[in-house]
Amino acid sequence: MNYKLTEKQQSDMEQAEDEATSVAATLPTRRQSFRGGIRMNLRGRSVRLRGLKRQPTGIWRWLAVLGPGLIAASAGNDAGGIATYSSTGAQYGYNLIWVMLVITVSLAIVQEMCARLGAATGRGLLDLIRERFGLGWASFAVGVILIANGGLIVSEFIGIGAAAELFGLNKYIVIPLAAATVWYLVVLGSYAQVEKIFLLMTLVFFAYPIAVFLAKPDWHAVLSGAVIPKIQRNPEYITLLVALIGTTITPYMQLFQQSSVVERGAARRHYGTERIDAYAGSIFSNLMSIFMIIATAATLHQVGQTEIASAADAARALEPVAGHSAGLIFGIGLFGASMLAAAVLPLATSYAISEAFGFAKGVNLDFRRARIFFGLFTGLILFGSILALIPNLPVIQLLVGVQVLNGALLPIILLFVLFLINDVNLTGELKNTRFYNFLGWGTFALVTGAVVLMFGTQILNVLGFDLFGKH
Amino acid sequence: MLISLSELLRFKIADARGQKVPLRDLASIISDDYPPITGLFWRQKKTRFFLSWEAVTAVDVTARQIVVRALNEGSSSSSCAQGEAFLKDEVLDALIIDLPNRRTTRANDLWLEVNDKNLVLRGVDTSGQAIFRRLLRGKVGTKPPPEFTDWKQIEFLRGDPHAAQDGAGYRRGITTLQPAEIAALSEALPYLHAAELLVLLPDPLAADVLEAMSDERELQVFEELAEEQRIRLLSLMAPDAAADLVAGLHPEETRRCLEQLPARQSERIIELLRYPEDSVGGAMTNDVVFAPVSLTIGEAREYLRERMKEPDFIHFIYVVADESSRVLRGVLSLRELLVSGAEVPLEQVMKKQVMTLEPLASAAAAAYQLLGSHLAALPVIAKDRRLLGAMTIDAAVALTAPNSWRSQAPRVFS
Repeated sequence: MNYKLTEKQQSDMEQAEDEATSVAATLPTRRQSFRGGIRMNLRGRSVRLRGLKRQPTGIWRWLAVLGPGLIAASAGNDAGGIATYSSTGAQYGYNLIWVMLVITVSLAIVQEMCARLGAATGRGLLDLIRERFGLGWASFAVGVILIANGGLIVSEFIGIGAAAELFGLNKYIVIPLAAATVWYLVVLGSYAQVEKIFLLMTLVFFAYPIAVFLAKPDWHAVLSGAVIPKIQRNPEYITLLVALIGTTITPYMQLFQQSSVVERGAARRHYGTERIDAYAGSIFSNLMSIFMIIATAATLHQVGQTEIASAADAARALEPVAGHSAGLIFGIGLFGASMLAAAVLPLATSYAISEAFGFAKGVNLDFRRARIFFGLFTGLILFGSILALIPNLPVIQLLVGVQVLNGALLPIILLFVLFLINDVNLTGELKNTRFYNFLGWGTFALVTGAVVLMFGTQILNVLGFDLFGKH
Repeated sequence: MLISLSELLRFKIADARGQKVPLRDLASIISDDYPPITGLFWRQKKTRFFLSWEAVTAVDVTARQIVVRALNEGSSSSSCAQGEAFLKDEVLDALIIDLPNRRTTRANDLWLEVNDKNLVLRGVDTSGQAIFRRLLRGKVGTKPPPEFTDWKQIEFLRGDPHAAQDGAGYRRGITTLQPAEIAALSEALPYLHAAELLVLLPDPLAADVLEAMSDERELQVFEELAEEQRIRLLSLMAPDAAADLVAGLHPEETRRCLEQLPARQSERIIELLRYPEDSVGGAMTNDVVFAPVSLTIGEAREYLRERMKEPDFIHFIYVVADESSRVLRGVLSLRELLVSGAEVPLEQVMKKQVMTLEPLASAAAAAYQLLGSHLAALPVIAKDRRLLGAMTIDAAVALTAPNSWRSQAPRVFS
């Protein structure tokens, strides 16, 4: 194939500047019988061109942002999240709502930084860590992500088992079946179509905001819990605090936020909408979490039940809206959210790791061409489902424990994000401003402080010291 | 003898006076088939020093050191010469394109050949073994794998679309691939790398690659190019593809592009942009070949010789009343133009009963009509039978094929 310019093309390009008026003379003047597009003045002539669409403004712009944000918020609360928020509401009533407000700001800042990093570089987080900090740090980050996500995958299968039990089914049959289904749908089937069904199932979590209003909580106490920090000096409180942070600002969310911005094809020149998307997503997802805490506090904590031992206990928060069907409604949502995450987490983890190490990746590839990718995906599903089958698991404690683990690993990922977003060679004009750095490093300090305090008290307790004294 | 870069980076630089410093990096002219190492770097008291490879007297693999005349010949320098790259800081761990296997991967390690006192980059190790070798600091996998990728078959990218214009060296082996292959590779790359790839290509090839990319990637990459290159590529693209591309730009940028394009191309794009996206006009190409009905076959061949050099779609020749009114009278195929006698008038050869499309009709319905006709294209005419363009089989496939298949569908006219 000849890829040289023809003489005609060459002369066309050279003459382009001298021909500024010739086009205007030949533009058709007949009005077209269609609407849409925008009118623009070209070479002195006004023409209406299709396809040139203005960004939606006013209410349309907000609807465009809020719609996907709301759905993501209902689907984002997986088994671990539901367990942690329910435990928080049951154990501490409205007293930890203020923490959720602080975390919302932190989450919005962290998610926005990751979206910005994705738009500025077009690369995933592990990719950037590999390129900027080298193989050693990338392997360390991969290890952190594997542990954090591995724990979460276990928790998703535990969630599937718990949902099965709410329907009166045997979890020892449902969990292996779910694992095989997820594997089959992703590798051989059409997961994208089935995903919509799971997504639809999670919409039942909108029952939480309704339950809040039907349960008629003490709004004065809710407001007080939201604005007056009530810090308790006991290790359980600190651990639940870390779990709350861990489940809200999960390391995998940073990884996915950045990847989804890259996948959507957002470029640095059109970053504005991504920022609104990141903020809206964070606010909605945490609003839903706050509703879960209030609903549980108004139903369980109110009647003196402060311990949540099973999914059936957690489901009782929906009784004001669903009555005796609360378990069923809760089960549907839990199953949908857990199935969504049980497929997405191993898949995204395998993608990110394969990408960081340069291994062939993609579900459309032949197994022999992408052994490591498929091996990782299959291994993670097997790991999650087999651990979830261990008999007599303390389900809720384990789910909260995984969130604590995520919270403990979060500062490591945050540190990478903060270093990368401040690297002007990578981010250019999208580098962090001082204000963002203040909030970003503030979040890092907050999370690290909580984790250090948690481990500190536990180590001191083991050594026979009680940091907080008798309480 | 072959040695890995990760192993080499544990070597010391030693001079005749016994002074030793750890090797920090190597510089190389990476555009060569087997790039020679041109300099070495080390760090002392937070300053980076450079020494030309000419000062090297031996590479002693057994003693794990590179012997130089004198370390004090080195000068403080933190950058490479033009056309050179740092092997550790830039090439190692970078995204690369493995040309024979048509895939993007990472440079997990590099293999260099020691030949007397010379060092030459031979290839890239993309294996998992290379990762373990580096993590375990050379405790395993010190021998080169049986098949590491030869440097001649690698395209190394920096993720900076402006690097090529700033004089950075490239192998440009990517230019040997077909446009669709380059487009498929660019989909797997971050968008800045994809834009950089486009900068390396000659403009006509780059224009074909842009046309073969997915809509989102095409726009993303296009916006990263320098304005002069954008204009050059738009002027070389098929008008329908160019119209779809500029329709996605910010209105101000669309205006700027259309004003700078050669008048003929700009006119064609504006004409197409005036039709709704889902109409026949929005899907057609208006870069078609036509000839006045008054010509004979021989005259038509002469008339069309120059005109057929540019358009992608030359399968059908549309016969019009005259060049200015462009009222459609009939159609003949390229085969009929070539095999008919030179003296025969066009009017006798052409088909007069032509199936046509209206520009404001639904594009999807027209696509099925075209597929049903078993023709490669159908002409699009205005109410006064003026020839506006043609809807090709490519457009019909793009409109009717499922999303998953669309990107793999062959383009007939490009």
